[in-house]
Amino acid sequence: MEDKYISLAHGNGGRYMRELIAELFARHLSDPSKEDTLDVTLDAAPIGLGEGEPYMTTDGFIVQPLEFPGGDIGSLAVNGTVNDLAVSGATPKYLSLNAFIEEGLEIATLDRIIASLAAAARAADVQVVAGDTKVLPRGEGGGLYLATTGVGLRPAGVDLGMHRIAPGDRIVVSGPIGDHGIAVMLAREDFEISGDVRSDCGHVIELARTAMEFDGLRFMRDPTRAGLAGVSYEIAQHAGVTVRLLETEVPVRDSVKMVCEMLGYDPYYLACEGRAVAIVAEQQAEALVSTWRELPSGEGAALIGRIEEGAARIVLETEIAGERILDDLEEDPLPRIC
Amino acid sequence: MTSARTWLERIRGLPLPDSVRVMNVCGGHERSITMAGLRGALPPQVELIPGPGCPVCVCPEEDIYAAIQLARRDDVTVAAFGDMLRVPCNAPKAEPRSLEQAKAAGGDVRPVSSPEEVLAIAKAHPDREVVFFAAGFETTTAPVAGLIANGLREGLPPNLSVLLSGRLTWPAVALLLDSDTPGFDALVAPGHVSTVMGPEEWEFVPKKHGIPAAVAGFNPESLLAALYSVLRQVIENRPFLDNCYQAVAQPGGNPTARAILNDVMDVTDANWRGIGVIPGSGFTLQEKLGDLDARVRFSIEPEEDRKRAGEMPPGCDCARVVLGKIYPNQCILYGKACTPRKPIGPCMVSDEGACRIWWASGVREQAGADLVRE
Repeated sequence: MEDKYISLAHGNGGRYMRELIAELFARHLSDPSKEDTLDVTLDAAPIGLGEGEPYMTTDGFIVQPLEFPGGDIGSLAVNGTVNDLAVSGATPKYLSLNAFIEEGLEIATLDRIIASLAAAARAADVQVVAGDTKVLPRGEGGGLYLATTGVGLRPAGVDLGMHRIAPGDRIVVSGPIGDHGIAVMLAREDFEISGDVRSDCGHVIELARTAMEFDGLRFMRDPTRAGLAGVSYEIAQHAGVTVRLLETEVPVRDSVKMVCEMLGYDPYYLACEGRAVAIVAEQQAEALVSTWRELPSGEGAALIGRIEEGAARIVLETEIAGERILDDLEEDPLPRIC
Repeated sequence: MTSARTWLERIRGLPLPDSVRVMNVCGGHERSITMAGLRGALPPQVELIPGPGCPVCVCPEEDIYAAIQLARRDDVTVAAFGDMLRVPCNAPKAEPRSLEQAKAAGGDVRPVSSPEEVLAIAKAHPDREVVFFAAGFETTTAPVAGLIANGLREGLPPNLSVLLSGRLTWPAVALLLDSDTPGFDALVAPGHVSTVMGPEEWEFVPKKHGIPAAVAGFNPESLLAALYSVLRQVIENRPFLDNCYQAVAQPGGNPTARAILNDVMDVTDANWRGIGVIPGSGFTLQEKLGDLDARVRFSIEPEEDRKRAGEMPPGCDCARVVLGKIYPNQCILYGKACTPRKPIGPCMVSDEGACRIWWASGVREQAGADLVRE
């Protein structure tokens, strides 16, 4: 492409827009070796679904800054949606992509982000088969907003959900929490501190697939906004149980802890973008941790707590065996993180 | 290093009297105590009382009102530490009652976390007056003094001024100890303040008042070590000032920071919201700084006729919470009319406010009558 920056003309439906789509989006997202790849000549794409129950989900992405250590809005837009399918037990197959681009965005930046999005899609083995671009006047968007809708297939006979959670079940997390939230916050440079925290942005498909081989698996969730506390709160409320988390067992990187202490954040509420939380029968919890630790995406997996009979709340057992209640998130601790 | 659990075991092994009330001065300590669940883990005889260490909570109402009035001006940007933004004042109903509301109404209010950010804002907007509303204790006031001292050498942007609401912590504890009912038998002294000003500032607690004291850091180990120390002092009737934060809080504190504070600020009598004037408890900018002081530049005068000027909001018991006279959940507004979502009193706003900390740790019930200590 000859232009350096996105202009309103890139959204006008004419030659500029066709160029942008063909030379930038399709170049990264179309894979001629695949039969069901993106075809920009179509108004709507056929999707072969095959065996299983179709699942669909959608998500919007407004993270600032657009690029941060460990990821960017492109990889986030794939993983965020793919992970919602994966933890529901479905294998992600297809994505749609909406890009709302602000006039003035550097095309080189857009190119990097869409390349990263395409790489994330390949890693997750999903095809972006439909898409749309719109250009917003300068000042009306944060550089780039993305929205993705995902379709996946869940094998017949899988039963996952809050209804299966019972007292005695164990809680397993696939790795350290809070990396994404802190990485994005540090990248914003609103604070006079720096650190080497990288976002955990990635897909959890392998984690979900291996977990589903355990018949004692009750429920999975990706702890994104509101973090581990948010997921735990939903479980407590909907399953009517006490969620007991053990402070000494929940993996949090020292660098994340340090930033949290400096700024008064609580890591339990910070977003992850490549972690899975599983509720599993007590007898299979250790085995699930071992299985996950075999995977690159689950190296830091840990057994972090249990489900108990009692009031619908989260009890955090502290390192000195004291207790405190983790409550539903009241305020947004970090703006625009996903 | 001795672990938190070991300290806890040692405390449990002490021959404790029926009741020991330990006040912690610092909001950061209250946060660590509450978040670690220390109250539930300690023997029942030991009562931990949150004290006056929340700068946002004691920031005078009239200063907040003044900052809001500045933020309402078209030509002024107000920068303030983030937790000041939501603190309500008693402005008339038609006007914004917090900096956050002033911002929503179109005022230019910027939350900052350091003086350097304010400097950057002032440099980036030379056409606007930038006022740094700096409320805080010694730990926060020292960097503000640093900004000013640097500026005296290298020049400050002419559009920058400071609305200072700096306070010293020890005079508030002295006020309690000088009263007939201090309400505590031992003191955990603040770690960060001691790091800046030196632990010696707290010598008066054991020496003048015979009350055991220990400086503590902010992790459970350090806090439990300090608790163990003061409990032993109580048992042995041997009050002295212990330092359980030695690696950081060293004798004499931070001489550079203290020198800079002396260079640009004076210590004066100062108003604490809901509590009143405490002698020698406030920092003011020295006269030589002229209209770098926003009170001079914008002719901010004490008000006389505004309703409830200087007071806590109606019904709010923050002042007694700050003085350790009641627990947060003994205020009738706690969790009812006053929550972090719709705070009425400053103690429910700040991360260092006892009400906010208790709420964040899940305390939802109001206390029964048996907990009232007065």
